[in-house]
Amino acid sequence: MMMRLNGILARVPRPLLFAAAGVMQVVLIALIVFDRVSILREGAEVTLQTTPVDPRDFLRGDYVTLNYEIGTIPTGALKDTRMAGRHMPLYVKLAPHPNGIYQPVSLHLEPPAVIAPEVLIRGRADGGSHCGEDHRSFCATVRITYGIDRYFVPEGEGTEIEKARDKGNVTVIAAVTPAGRAAIKRLLVDGKPVYDEPLF
Amino acid sequence: MFERAYRQRLEGDVTRWQMDGVITPAAGNAIRATLGPLPSGVNIATVVGMIGGLLIGAAFLAFVAANWSEIARPARFAMLLAGIAAAYALGAWFDRGGRAFLADSAVSIGCIIFGAAIALVGQMYHLGGDFAGAMLLWAAAALAAAALTGSRGALAVALVVGSIWSGMRVQEEADVPHLAFVAFWLIAAILAVRWNASVARHLVALAAVAWWLTAGITLSTLFSVGNATLVVAAGAALMLGAGLAMANWGSPSLRAFGLTLSTYGALVFAIAVAWTVSGVLHGRVRPLPWWIGASGVSGVGLSLAAAGIGRRAGPALAGLSAVLGLAVVAAMARGTGGDEPWLVYALALASMLSLVMSGMLDEVRPRIVAGWIGLACVIAGITWALEGSLLERSIFLAIAGIVAIAIANALGRFMPKEAMT
Repeated sequence: MMMRLNGILARVPRPLLFAAAGVMQVVLIALIVFDRVSILREGAEVTLQTTPVDPRDFLRGDYVTLNYEIGTIPTGALKDTRMAGRHMPLYVKLAPHPNGIYQPVSLHLEPPAVIAPEVLIRGRADGGSHCGEDHRSFCATVRITYGIDRYFVPEGEGTEIEKARDKGNVTVIAAVTPAGRAAIKRLLVDGKPVYDEPLF
Repeated sequence: MFERAYRQRLEGDVTRWQMDGVITPAAGNAIRATLGPLPSGVNIATVVGMIGGLLIGAAFLAFVAANWSEIARPARFAMLLAGIAAAYALGAWFDRGGRAFLADSAVSIGCIIFGAAIALVGQMYHLGGDFAGAMLLWAAAALAAAALTGSRGALAVALVVGSIWSGMRVQEEADVPHLAFVAFWLIAAILAVRWNASVARHLVALAAVAWWLTAGITLSTLFSVGNATLVVAAGAALMLGAGLAMANWGSPSLRAFGLTLSTYGALVFAIAVAWTVSGVLHGRVRPLPWWIGASGVSGVGLSLAAAGIGRRAGPALAGLSAVLGLAVVAAMARGTGGDEPWLVYALALASMLSLVMSGMLDEVRPRIVAGWIGLACVIAGITWALEGSLLERSIFLAIAGIVAIAIANALGRFMPKEAMT
């Protein structure tokens, strides 16, 4: 098999192999962006209450870590059952509160059916939620991250958002697809949009 | 580098042989003619060129970062893609001109820019969350680039980033053993064998060592089972045995890969045994997953199989070294009850002596060095153990020395002289 592979690669002109490697990496980067654009385009808008802090990420400048109210969920009937993995995927059914902020309704291991205005959001279990002798069982509550936990801002601007965070006035409008994948669409301080995400 | 040193030594020998009349001048010239021209290596101009390329790559990333706020997002995105494309275009250009090292460097820089692009795109589009997943994407793309272009630098990027990915997954998911990395590693190993390149063999072997270290540390800290040294010793025994089996079977490139793998296995095994004898493991009785024991047993079995395939005593002695060394680590892990573990000390010395003899019989200098390092560390560990009587240890070492001299004497009587050199 290795000889055959060697033969195939030897027949392809070398510049084409270099081009294939470069094109593959360019396409992969482009796919990351287009995937996120498709979420913003197709996803339903969901307003989420946050409690952000302001650390600094190596290589990536300033960002605001967004701790959502839906970041900690009661496990209910799942308590003490064995987790498939410490960072296993989890599904949370959300419903809008009268004030417009979405709140968790229930936690699921598999995507359940939802009826509008309910929305399903997909996340991953996070640290600090592992009980049992082997630390692999659900505790009474589970911390969940949704892949929308960081919002990068120009250097220095994170502090302003942090001040608003202290007043509890930062909300996020996220786009959520029917499969539960989410992306940040808008960041609001005191109910007013301060960052509006373009598609590209 | 090694080829040049070898040729200098050979030239000195051939000149001396001619002067001593051992060979005729014609024979000397014939020997020189068989070597052919010295393969072109990395000259100063190439090294300076590679540094220049790295600086330009760093400058590009710094420029993008410095003007982050001023540059429109689509323009930033386009610059990142252009950076990747330019690196590969340069690589193809250098490759076409026969400048393999510069082509390799260009592909390596392309892979580094790709990794930076993942991070910067994550920043631009607020993609948080799965950092290990991003590492996997980077590692997989670098591995694919290495497979397509034959870049050793890209393979290095793939294995370093892949090891980080594996370590993160192990920590996050408590996924031990992390079998996904084994599949990744096997692809890298196939490339190393296909290229028959020394640097690739070493990189792949080092990645295996890193995987076993991660597995050992995670099992002992996260799960509170077993101990790191026993896990690493079992893994090293498997590397040693599998390497010896490959070194005695298959194509020359597979043999060369097996030899490198076995050398790293021998070195890590020797250090693990010496580490154990130094007393780090006293009194930790913990169960181990079945696959750790299976790895150690497989390593011993493969060493013995290699001895059978190649009809050589060297691999058999390596297998014996593995059996004795694993017994040492397992015994020490169970604890000594406060008494001096004389039998364990003796087994550790015998294990390292077997490793040295194995290297000598197979004429593999790095394995001999590994055995000597292990012997030196084991003796140091016995001598400077904190507990017990120094006088008793002195008597033990004297007896061990007398036994070793007796064995040497017996070997001198019963073995032909040429087999001992």
